[in-house]
Amino acid sequence: MSAGHHHERAASAAELRAHALEAVLAERGLVSTDAIDAVVAYYEQDVGPQNGARAVARAWVDDGYRERLLAHPNEALDELGFGGMEGHNMAVVANSETVHNVIVCTLCSCYPWPVLGLPPSWYKSEAYRARVVAEPRAVLREFGLALADDVEVRVWDSSAEMRYLVLPLRPAGSEGLGEEELAARVTRDCMIGTALP
Amino acid sequence: MTALAAVDAGLGPAAALPRDNGELVFEEPWQGRALGMGVVALQRSDSTWEDFRVHLVRAIAARPQRPGETAATAYYAAWLDALEALLRERGLLSSSGAR
Repeated sequence: MSAGHHHERAASAAELRAHALEAVLAERGLVSTDAIDAVVAYYEQDVGPQNGARAVARAWVDDGYRERLLAHPNEALDELGFGGMEGHNMAVVANSETVHNVIVCTLCSCYPWPVLGLPPSWYKSEAYRARVVAEPRAVLREFGLALADDVEVRVWDSSAEMRYLVLPLRPAGSEGLGEEELAARVTRDCMIGTALP
Repeated sequence: MTALAAVDAGLGPAAALPRDNGELVFEEPWQGRALGMGVVALQRSDSTWEDFRVHLVRAIAARPQRPGETAATAYYAAWLDALEALLRERGLLSSSGAR
């Protein structure tokens, strides 16, 4: 996204038209500003992570699916109907008791959007992109994630050709939960690697 | 809420939402609002994305990208044309439109 590149200029004809149409549609009761705000926020922030969360929850309850997700991520995600990878290769990296994974795109903002939606703004920030490579433990601590010293942190640099998704560990005490309840525990940040479920 | 995958499927490749590196492109806030307006107005008017696609493909053909204009600006300008045309067809906008 390149918002902010066009700050110092007059509104374009199309922009004026968008405002005019919104005003007319609002007057007719066809749209409301709040409803549009909600949709925009949804597409910018909320769409997607639930796809990844469903895949993670499935992997937690189904060992066969977990194996397929790790070995052939694109096919395994397709199984759940999350296609649209546009030929990009997905790689799923699994956390363990001794390894914690975190993803970044040091060059730009490559991101597994079909499963995670649109990336959060901090993912695109230069500070995150540079620092998570140089000092991952410090960055994770700032996210509120304190890892034991004996846990190895692996940082995965995404590219246009390869997008990573973190498969977190199933949380302790979640044995009684069903797949849907488990999926609800899996946030976007868990699958980036900056949080735990 | 309409899942993005459903929007993509409804619009098809000929009228696909502008993306860069897989991400939706909103160069300016009005482009996001145009998409949001479409989602809401289609729901309220009981229209489908397939209904909208017919108008959008036509609008894109009628309003190609202009010099000095980005692809996303051209796309969402056509999007506004298409939305207006669809709603007019449904009798939800007067023929004078929203110019």
